[in-house]
Amino acid sequence: MTNLLRVLRAERRWSQADVAEHLGVSRQTVNAVETERYEPSLSLAFKISRLFERPIEAIFDDSVTTHARPPGQSAG
Amino acid sequence: MKDDNAAYSYPSSRCDLPTTISAATWAICYLGSLWLLKHEMVGGWMRVALVILPVIPFAVFLRHFVSQLRNLDELQRRVHLEALGYAFPLSILFFMTLGLLDVAQILSSKDFSYQLVWSYLPVFYAIGLVLSWRRYR
Repeated sequence: MTNLLRVLRAERRWSQADVAEHLGVSRQTVNAVETERYEPSLSLAFKISRLFERPIEAIFDDSVTTHARPPGQSAG
Repeated sequence: MKDDNAAYSYPSSRCDLPTTISAATWAICYLGSLWLLKHEMVGGWMRVALVILPVIPFAVFLRHFVSQLRNLDELQRRVHLEALGYAFPLSILFFMTLGLLDVAQILSSKDFSYQLVWSYLPVFYAIGLVLSWRRYR
């Protein structure tokens, strides 16, 4: 799953520590999310969404890795 | 605000002061008890008391440690969980190997007494922490 966290942070000229403080997590966690080594929980994704005032799907893109299909759709 | 893409630093989940103090107190009590028991400085019921003595500071340490774990963020908790995931099977492998060495009569059970083997378990946990943190660097 990719994300725009680094871009959004850079736009606001925030440090990872600033974002971490706003989100109530460690800087390491912000770094791991930014570098896409860690996929945040839904709760943290919502916090990120609120912080940057963007919908979750505008920040996180799972089209690269997702294999889920809508209900009723066969594997084909 | 300054830009911060600085190098990743190891766990912000490092031990806080109460956890460190209680761990140090436990270590002192354990080593003190061990020394007194080995040198047979006391006898009778006092020996039992010395055996039980380290349990008290360890209980305090455990309380602080778990409290610290609860205060971690989601990634840090995952790292500690993965560390246990490494440490537990490593401990099984370690004890199993010691058992086989004993059966094979390569190593006597006197060489790996209970005084020593427990000390490997925190080492396995630390190895697990390092391996897990490396994954999220």
